[in-house]
Amino acid sequence: MDDLEKAIIISFDESGTIDHELKSRAVSYCQQLKESPSICRVCVERVLCTKFVQVQFWCLQTLQEFLHLRYSSRSPEEKLYVRESVMSMACDGRIGEKGSIRFLDGPSFIKNKLAQVLVTLIYFEYPMIWSSVFVDFLQHLNKGAAVIDMFCRVLNALDDEVISLDYPRNAEEVVVAGRIKDGMRQQCIPQIVRGWYDIVSLYKNSDPDVCTSVLDSLRRCISWIDIGLIANNAFVPMLFELVLVEGPPEQLRGAAANCVLAIVSKRMDPQSKLSMLQSLQMSRVFSVVAGNGDSELISSLAALLTGYAAELLDCSKRLDSEEIKGISTELLDEVLPSVFYVMQNCEMDATFNIVQFLSGYVATMKSLSPLREKQVLHIGQILEVIRSQICYDPVYRNSLNVPDKIGKEEEYRMEEFRKDFLVLLRSVGRVAPDVTQLYIRNSLASALVSSSERNIEEVEAALSLFHALGESISEEAMKTGSGMLRELVPMLLSARINCHSHRLVALAYLETVTRYVKFVQENTNYIPLVLAVFLDERGIHHPNIYVSRRASYLFMRVVKLLKAKLVPYIQKILQSLQDKVGQCMNSDWSVKVQKSSGTEDGSHIFEAIGLLIGMEEVSPEKQSEYLSSLLTPLCHQVKELLLDAKVQNQDDSFEKIAVIQQIVMAINALSKGFSERLVTASRPTIGVMFKQTLDILLQILEVFPKVELLRNKVTSFIHRMVDTLGASVFPYLPKALGQLIADSENTAELSHDCSLRSFSKSYRFRTHDLLNMSGKRLRGLSFKPKEMVSFLVLINQLICKFNSLVGNILEELFPAIASRVFHVLPRDGFPSGPGSNTEEIRELQELQKTFYTFLHVVTTHDLSSVFLSLKSRVYLDPLIQLLLHTSCSHKDILVRKACVQIFIRLIKDWCARPNVEEKVPGFQNFIIETFAINCCLYSVLDKSFEFRDANTLVLFGEIVVAQKVMYEKFGDEFLVHFVSKAFQTAQCPQELAEQYCQKLQIVHCLVYGYLNFIRLSGISRGLPWLPKPQKTFPMLMKPLPAFNIAYLFRLEIRRDEIVLLLSKGSDIKALKVFYQSLIENLRHQQNGSLVFR
Amino acid sequence: MALPNQQTVDYPSFKLVIVGDGGTGKTTFVKRHLTGEFEKKYEPTIGVEVHPLDFFTNCGKIRFYCWDTAGQEKFGGLRDGYYIHGQCAIIMFDVTARLTYKNVPTWHRDLCRVCENIPIVLCGNKVDVKNRQVKAKQVTFHRKKNLQYYEISAKSNYNFEKPFLYLARKLAGDPNLHFVESPALAPPEVQIDMAAQQQHEAELAAAAAQPLPDDDDELND
Repeated sequence: MDDLEKAIIISFDESGTIDHELKSRAVSYCQQLKESPSICRVCVERVLCTKFVQVQFWCLQTLQEFLHLRYSSRSPEEKLYVRESVMSMACDGRIGEKGSIRFLDGPSFIKNKLAQVLVTLIYFEYPMIWSSVFVDFLQHLNKGAAVIDMFCRVLNALDDEVISLDYPRNAEEVVVAGRIKDGMRQQCIPQIVRGWYDIVSLYKNSDPDVCTSVLDSLRRCISWIDIGLIANNAFVPMLFELVLVEGPPEQLRGAAANCVLAIVSKRMDPQSKLSMLQSLQMSRVFSVVAGNGDSELISSLAALLTGYAAELLDCSKRLDSEEIKGISTELLDEVLPSVFYVMQNCEMDATFNIVQFLSGYVATMKSLSPLREKQVLHIGQILEVIRSQICYDPVYRNSLNVPDKIGKEEEYRMEEFRKDFLVLLRSVGRVAPDVTQLYIRNSLASALVSSSERNIEEVEAALSLFHALGESISEEAMKTGSGMLRELVPMLLSARINCHSHRLVALAYLETVTRYVKFVQENTNYIPLVLAVFLDERGIHHPNIYVSRRASYLFMRVVKLLKAKLVPYIQKILQSLQDKVGQCMNSDWSVKVQKSSGTEDGSHIFEAIGLLIGMEEVSPEKQSEYLSSLLTPLCHQVKELLLDAKVQNQDDSFEKIAVIQQIVMAINALSKGFSERLVTASRPTIGVMFKQTLDILLQILEVFPKVELLRNKVTSFIHRMVDTLGASVFPYLPKALGQLIADSENTAELSHDCSLRSFSKSYRFRTHDLLNMSGKRLRGLSFKPKEMVSFLVLINQLICKFNSLVGNILEELFPAIASRVFHVLPRDGFPSGPGSNTEEIRELQELQKTFYTFLHVVTTHDLSSVFLSLKSRVYLDPLIQLLLHTSCSHKDILVRKACVQIFIRLIKDWCARPNVEEKVPGFQNFIIETFAINCCLYSVLDKSFEFRDANTLVLFGEIVVAQKVMYEKFGDEFLVHFVSKAFQTAQCPQELAEQYCQKLQIVHCLVYGYLNFIRLSGISRGLPWLPKPQKTFPMLMKPLPAFNIAYLFRLEIRRDEIVLLLSKGSDIKALKVFYQSLIENLRHQQNGSLVFR
Repeated sequence: MALPNQQTVDYPSFKLVIVGDGGTGKTTFVKRHLTGEFEKKYEPTIGVEVHPLDFFTNCGKIRFYCWDTAGQEKFGGLRDGYYIHGQCAIIMFDVTARLTYKNVPTWHRDLCRVCENIPIVLCGNKVDVKNRQVKAKQVTFHRKKNLQYYEISAKSNYNFEKPFLYLARKLAGDPNLHFVESPALAPPEVQIDMAAQQQHEAELAAAAAQPLPDDDDELND
């Protein structure tokens, strides 16, 4: 072993036993060698004489790298040397005097690597430079199986690396692939095919492995070579012989079947396709299928038959002549029984394709009515296939009941597996509703009649089929009980199933009842039956906790649908749920619920109860009585727990928190049933009860300020109460919001301390700071971005609901919000590329997005004055800078749009007409000199601003509106600056600039023209704010439709709304179109030569 | 099969190669096991890192030597050289980044060139993230190539064991093999949000209750 071999072997060694220093020396030694001018020769010589596979692999890999990076610049002699060496390695492996090893006896991965090297040469040189590569190779095939095998590997590598469309390819690669295919078709494909035929004929008995390789390569080519070379009297009989005759190994027979499938799938016009399919006499294969239930071959045969059937179906769809259609239908009828047979009797991978084909087959029946007798028969068989496939194996019965780990896994697998079949069932249900319903009735009936332990799986499958059928039934049909439903639903509801204790049966039963509950909505006499299903041991009181929880959820959905009809039953329902309601306050239970993942947390029972007792149909006295009987003990419990937690700091706080969380969720769910109208207007006593509850639940934040789970739950409850209590929630807001934002401050100090104390930790952040991002942000992070997000969402809800009423509160909060957000958000955008997708960055992006929504909500609700308050002033500059940066270059176009809209509002709010003292000194200048130029011109000129994208066009529209608004507000001051400075920098032709001014003025004048007209018409006396008539544009005073004017004045709509209304016409569109053409013109003219920023 | 120069243990061990685009979470995934912690920060893997991960099955202990390879070309090292003698593999993509799924066929091809006929699992990572770009039903590659597909979330430990269990079964040739004890995993970073989950459930239920369009395209996309 010399240095090179040692170095390579060491660099491959990952056992951890190699000295670090030594290893990095070895790696850099290899690296240096790669740079040397003689590397090509070194690799070729070494690969043939080394006995280490790692070294061989390294040499070939290096050679390939060389071909990609440096080959083109080498001398013709060296290129010839490479070609000849690679070719001789691939053909006999006996070049070089020293090397007596046979290259082609080596492991597959070395041969594959060599094939890749040869294909790289072909990629660059065939057919122009090295035209003889394939012809030369063919000369060597007579040397035997090893060379044939290598030839197949080269063709497969060619397919994988260059031709196949399964891989993403760039435009250049597609061109090269076309060039190579054309060259081969012209030059050598007939010879290659001929060679393949001879090889298979010759070796099929003596060397089936090499024949399998050959057929595999052949299969890959069929789609792009002349089909006549294969679909002929020589090849087809040979392939069928291999498939049909017992004897050859299954791999070879499978490979032959795959070739036939490739022939069948070849793209052809339907007429010739059908003749070709007919000539294959596929029925020969049916008997082979029937005899090979468990073999590996069956997968290939199943794929072949399915592919064949699918092509027939396709032909019958595309052909018009009835006579020819008849042929394909006949062939299809012939093959279908075998397809069904394969489905039901064989284990194989092709299930998905078969289901897909059957769906296609069923879809063709949509337009046929009535169905042919044969088709009805097929439908029956398809239903039978579906039923047998979705049945669980009794082996798993106990595991599924618990469910234990194996059971869960099987259930998950079945759920996935069933999906396609149930989609198929729904299609069948649509084309043949009667047949399907009859089938389901029979299977349900037979399952129910002999209901014993024996057939749990059968019952479950029948129920699941019935459930799935529900999705193909229209709402109308469901309500009226069309077809057999009138018989089926009552049968289901009154069924007594012996194996109901089994979890899966119970679940399937409940799901199915829920699915058909719309029928009960119209047939109310069944309500007692439905209630019994959910309230007795089949539902919420089922001994299995998974069933009972699911039942709670489904019950809630049923109540939602039927609630108006349930009033007489409320008392009874409450009674039977009493025990479950009590569970919520039990700590064991709460802990258990939280530990087990899942969505059924028990609060659905409360939601159902809330829906029932929250109805107006319930008398006020009863309603108060019900609600207080629920709220009083729950609130009492919370109070106790909080008191407890205040005085002592025990270890059982986890349990306490669990119970509190459970109770908050319960109350939250309960409140969903009460509308704002009921609580605030018609029954204020109910409102008082909820206010008292809110007061108590807010104390949770004081006692447990740092428990995120509780915080989230209480925040959700505040959301709820804002909706339910309306404006009467106001007195509680200062405390609640203060608490929520103060909490993050506490946490902030805490984490700050920690990071100071553990210097090493922050140091680690710095050294690992590869993205130049994570460390900086982490150290500065003083609160959880998520907390701020949920806080902002709450504020947004408040603003949207109460508009300017929350102005004072917002004024108080804004400085705190701004300081925190600015502290963590990067000013200059987020990094992109791999690695930018980290958790931390995602959280910050989420915060950023929510923050923009918040700013947008604030400005669009007339609250922009909040930014100007004394305490907020310090944030004004960073805020404006952030908005500017975002509006110009944020990668999310919709965010940019929102920011431009914010600017438009700010301009309207903060900029008065000329000659009035500025509300925000400097703002006007900023807008004219910076915003207008950077956002309205430069950001749009950038090539990344894609006019073909719909969202971008919307953004562009806003940018144009911004210009209009600036002109309205600043008049010529804006126009002069924009046109004379900005347009000039962008080298805008004078003519275009003038046109721009004209268009903008027209839009403006139209608006003011209308206003003038209104004024002049004398209707405007009550509206002193209208601008004085502008005599400059008298010709633009077009009349406004009378009804619009009347409408405007009757409603006393505000000024900006009128302006908006008036400007909504087509003129802004014209400006938009013009500005777009102007921008495109400028881009074209500059051709990217001008850099603005 | 003993690996060249690999430290040996007295129970069956297998070389598992993990490939996929950079940033899809390969390193995070292997680090969930036992010793690992969820790394929020991203550091590209240089070349390869080998992690021995032990699992306890009903047939005894087994070890996977997980070769966590560099997804980014520029940190390549020996690239497909690391696949040599691989006995099973995981191809990872990120359901929140479409391109990483588009590149799966290429990873599969490069892997199969070096390791013919080994069991392979395709894993779609980061399914906990809200706005995913690759939906479950858009994932079809595994059907063409007969791979197993799992949706995972390294962050929440969701389905962590599944790929290993599948590979162990294939390698042992025993479809009933199972893990008898769970490996020690780092605690999940995300709790499933009950409220969001409920809403999700309700939406699903509402969607399920809608009559389906009169079309059978469900399977075709």
